[in-house]
Amino acid sequence: MTRIITITSGKGGVGKTTIVANLGTALARLGKKVALIDADFGLRNLDLLLGLENRVVYTILEVIAGECSIEKALVKDKRQPGLALLPAAQNRNKEAVSPEQVKEIVSKITPNFDYLIVDCPAGIELGFRNAIAAAKEAIIVTTPEMAAVRDADRVIGLLEAEGIKKISLIVNRLRAEMVQLDKMISVEDIIDLLVIPLIGIVPDDERVIVSTNRGEPIVLEDRPSLPGMALRNIARRLEGEEVPFLDLMASYDNLFTRLRRLFKKT
Amino acid sequence: MIASFESFLLGVGFKARFPIKKPAHTLSTLTLNSSRHGTRESPREKNMNYDSKPVPESNGSQPLFLVNRLSGVRLKQKEGKIFLILPFQDKKEPPTYWAQIETELKYRLNNGERFWRSGATVNLVARNRLLDGRQLQNIARSLEGVNLKLKCVSTSRRQTAVAAATAGFDVEHDRAARSLEITAEESKESTEPLYLRNTIRSGTEVRHSGSIILLGDLNPGAVVIAAGDIIIWGSLRGVAHAGANGNREARIMALKMQPTQLRIADLVARAPEKSPEQIEPEIAYIAPVGIRLHLASNFAKVHTFSKQARAWIDN
Repeated sequence: MTRIITITSGKGGVGKTTIVANLGTALARLGKKVALIDADFGLRNLDLLLGLENRVVYTILEVIAGECSIEKALVKDKRQPGLALLPAAQNRNKEAVSPEQVKEIVSKITPNFDYLIVDCPAGIELGFRNAIAAAKEAIIVTTPEMAAVRDADRVIGLLEAEGIKKISLIVNRLRAEMVQLDKMISVEDIIDLLVIPLIGIVPDDERVIVSTNRGEPIVLEDRPSLPGMALRNIARRLEGEEVPFLDLMASYDNLFTRLRRLFKKT
Repeated sequence: MIASFESFLLGVGFKARFPIKKPAHTLSTLTLNSSRHGTRESPREKNMNYDSKPVPESNGSQPLFLVNRLSGVRLKQKEGKIFLILPFQDKKEPPTYWAQIETELKYRLNNGERFWRSGATVNLVARNRLLDGRQLQNIARSLEGVNLKLKCVSTSRRQTAVAAATAGFDVEHDRAARSLEITAEESKESTEPLYLRNTIRSGTEVRHSGSIILLGDLNPGAVVIAAGDIIIWGSLRGVAHAGANGNREARIMALKMQPTQLRIADLVARAPEKSPEQIEPEIAYIAPVGIRLHLASNFAKVHTFSKQARAWIDN
């Protein structure tokens, strides 16, 4: 049974595309056959993050127009044999495609893969509806910011209205030292508001930016960094494995911060 | 009418802010913009004429002007039959209104009270609404999602009747007679409470012409508007408007009162800047000086509603 997962957030710039690229790569590392679908028409950059830009020949638009077969349009990843990408068109806008067309394409790809991961554009307009049209489950990406959490809440409401019941949460760009000092919304506060199961916490790290610029997903490092580890763990949790959450607080948990929290509480 | 009332409410919120301290026996502090004095002087209030408007609950035949129009889709059981009632089609309604009805229908089906048994059949009361085959099929599909079966369509429009017959449903085509009969009943029935079992999330607005009972949270950015009371078994973090048609007796209760804004009848109150340390179930009500909070556990013991003061007063 192929799992069709949309990665969405509502707000832009929270790291959806980065997570799609890394999650796809991590799942492929686990031996799964994964297709990534870039549904962000007009602003595609999933191919960039995977370092596959120079291999894109056809896009989803040519497939819809019947100008080429899906097999031709799917770009095979250069590192992971199980990973493929269906690129979005750069030269058109989001109105060029309808939810029905996306559904049809997805149903054609489905038999050949274990996972279909759809990268959803920001916003809740047609592009969003295209991206969720075929999805059976969704992963919400949010950062510990009020605006991002609020948009995530809105998007969860829309997904539920569309009958997508299986929704889990990734908190991205968490800065443990700021949470420790009560300067950032904590993961607990986010879950308290959104009331959906947590599947991963990814710490803020400049190495993520370096990896996206190089087009090398961070999960592929030989000695994975903290964010790389967190993303690999998300892939394992998707596979049904019980993986404990990384202790991001560990390096900041000393006597001083403990005392400070103790006094804060009383 | 609706727009003007809404802007009226907002106007109150921004113009008249009188922060007033809460009585000492309540736990949390709520800064208030008691708009009472402000609205008294406002000429618009005179136009609205709240003083002479009877409380909707006590007089069901009074038109509900704020809540009724948009709380369109209703699902109810009568004499063993299930009726799905669509709102009347207004000449002026925007073409996008249908999408809104469909969303609302799905919302009600998935989150409302499930009083039906699996596989029960539904009579669609389409009234004067113009529906094509595809729209009817969509309704049937939404109903199938919760194990209901669309069987019969009653309508006063010929085109809708034809579309329904073509799509294979039973048709009751009455030139307005039947739809009028339901309208007459409606004023009484519409005060039935709406029961919801889910989190109401940002961007969602629920309107109902009776009371609203919510088993779940009201998140920031979400709005519930009821002609009657609002009871939230969860956290109230968004905007709640009780007694929206001018019923000053209406109350808002929540297990966790952390609202963005509370509105009762024609009054508006903001949430305090600081949230209280200890949170207990609370009731928001209209006191002679504006909206107040009180512990839910003993509210009824110490308060009674005074018709003269048009507010709840301490015993």
